[in-house]
Amino acid sequence: MNNIFHLVRKDFRRKWKNPAVILGFLFIPLVFTLIFGMVFGSGGEKTLPQVKIFAVDNDQSLVSGFMLGALTQGELNELIDLEEIEEEEGRKLLDRGKASALLIIPENFGDNIWEGQPTEILLIKNPAEQFLPQIAEEIIDTMTLGLSSLRQVFAGELDTIRKFAELEEFPDETISALSLQFKGRIDGMSKYLIPPVISIKQITLSEEKEEVSDLSVQAYILPAIAVMFLLFICNAVFEDILSEKESGTLMRLRVSPVNLREYIWSKIVTSTLIGILCTSFLIILGRVIFSINWGDPVSIALLVLCLNILIAGFISFLFSFVRTERQAGALLTTVILLMSMLGGSMVPVENYPPAILKFSKLTLNYWGITAFKNIMRGEPLATIVPILFFMAVAGVLLSILGSYFLNRNLQRGIS
Amino acid sequence: MGRKEMLQIEHLSKTFDTIKAVDDISFEVTEGEIFGFLGPNGSGKTTTISIIAGLLRPDSGKIHINSLDLDGDLKKIKRLMGVVPQEMAFYEELTAKENLLFWGKLYGVRKKELDERVQYYLEKTGLLGRENDALKKYSGGMKRRINLIIGLIHEPKLLLLDEPTIGIDVQTKLNIYQIIKEASSNGTTILYTTHNLQEAEELCHRIAILDLGKILALGTLDELIQIVGEKDIVIISGKFSIDMARTIISEFQQATVLSIEERKLVLSLEASKNISTLLEEFFKKGITIDDVSIKQPNLESVFLKLTGKELRE
Repeated sequence: MNNIFHLVRKDFRRKWKNPAVILGFLFIPLVFTLIFGMVFGSGGEKTLPQVKIFAVDNDQSLVSGFMLGALTQGELNELIDLEEIEEEEGRKLLDRGKASALLIIPENFGDNIWEGQPTEILLIKNPAEQFLPQIAEEIIDTMTLGLSSLRQVFAGELDTIRKFAELEEFPDETISALSLQFKGRIDGMSKYLIPPVISIKQITLSEEKEEVSDLSVQAYILPAIAVMFLLFICNAVFEDILSEKESGTLMRLRVSPVNLREYIWSKIVTSTLIGILCTSFLIILGRVIFSINWGDPVSIALLVLCLNILIAGFISFLFSFVRTERQAGALLTTVILLMSMLGGSMVPVENYPPAILKFSKLTLNYWGITAFKNIMRGEPLATIVPILFFMAVAGVLLSILGSYFLNRNLQRGIS
Repeated sequence: MGRKEMLQIEHLSKTFDTIKAVDDISFEVTEGEIFGFLGPNGSGKTTTISIIAGLLRPDSGKIHINSLDLDGDLKKIKRLMGVVPQEMAFYEELTAKENLLFWGKLYGVRKKELDERVQYYLEKTGLLGRENDALKKYSGGMKRRINLIIGLIHEPKLLLLDEPTIGIDVQTKLNIYQIIKEASSNGTTILYTTHNLQEAEELCHRIAILDLGKILALGTLDELIQIVGEKDIVIISGKFSIDMARTIISEFQQATVLSIEERKLVLSLEASKNISTLLEEFFKKGITIDDVSIKQPNLESVFLKLTGKELRE
């Protein structure tokens, strides 16, 4: 045990003094996450950015004022950042990409609406943006449709309102008569409107558990890629066996009081500890840089431990099949990449057909990523425990097998 | 020497496929003795050392170290033994001090004692002041010194040195000799493999000459020279065939052929004065002689006599 401690400490010192490989493998997941996050946006937990709309009101009427006012009421106010502006300046600023759209209300817009004459408003979209101008278009479309429908249904009442709006006084009996007219009109349509034919279901994305999009893009990508690169980091620790064999230090260790089993277990312990440190580092950076909510800290800590035990066991087992650095490079890289592809480190497994998904479940990546996602979605520890238990047991068993076969191969291979 | 036997080897053999790397060798080395293993590449030196170190299992034979059987007591023996391999076997990213502390701890040396030894050996090898530099920054000679100290840091009873002075400058070589002699005088038994004759002559109390896995001769330098007697070793190079050379030598009673090959003849002669008579015989047959060298009795001439070939670095 003492020897394992000295060997692990020595390996930590060596990695500390020559950290390039591990740092490389550690930062690639962060860079990937950053790039994917930028390409695909933040996703679920984040709020939508505001749609900036410049508005030019050439009419300055009650109706145009009503329309622009409606755009900044209630929830729309959170979605839309409306700024009234002169047309020339608005066009210039739109050219410079300062807004998602420019809305131009023409002169006589209000009069035309009152008179039931066709009229049009102009919406110029920013071609440099993909989604936000579309949102602006949908909102304006809906609003104009609503306004037109309102004009059609309440044509008589609106004419009366318009006539009296030009007067200074609005007689009480007229208001009373209009109210009854409005009520009669709405009661007549009530069988169509109540209950509404179309209802809008409001959902809060974070409440939905079955959808992939409940996690931010970064929260999905970082653990997925991290599992793959943890395999590579562990592989780098085990490659030391081959380089020590090459340099003669392994031979020197063999003639010392250290036995080969202690040496192999020291590599398993080193790779587990380095894996735990790297995962913790990624989790902290993920939180700081990408605001990833990793979920229950105890569950995450247990997952980090069990996952790295499994990874170290798996790599030690794989290493018992290789004798040279070239073989290690070919076999380990192929297995890690294949597992990562199938297991969801490269493509979300939700996109795989059932036939491939069966194979996904045979990979370490699948279980690691699934456990991460489940914890991030707030599943209680009790539901995660079976996966963690499976990981730890499989990791220990693979380590025992790996150390047995590695010991046998190294004894044969060292002269 | 009258001292305790530290290493006993009896009828040791090891074969790789069809090649007999070690062929039934037996010898003993006493406590504090520097025992030289002299032989060309492929003579079986490193294989013998690897078997003694427990890295290879022999096909047959027995090895006892400090009265312990290598077969049954390897764990105990490992603590008594130090090994300095040919290659620089240490961690280049770590400093000299970190390496020495690491290897010392593996052998269970207590911290205070280990710190003192590290200090002592670094001073002894002139590396004090550089102890906190990574070994990758060291020169070849400095690395060789560290490679040696790692084998000595736990003060072993038996030290196996496998050609520890390959490719180093004279100054480093002398420094290494000094450390080895000091270890020996402190009671460490040293098994020293080399193919450098001068090194064996200077360092070793006794020398075993190996070739093709066999010990051809074993003894002190004086005892080995007795094998050659008063005879000189003569090497003649020229334009002659093997048959032609054999004919001339057969007519010349005072010479013994040690080896003969196309254009090269190695002889032992009763006295060097006869060489002119011999050369005349060659000239009479119209043979052109390119080079003649005469070696006085020394380890090299012993090696030549025993193996019929020169030992080169």
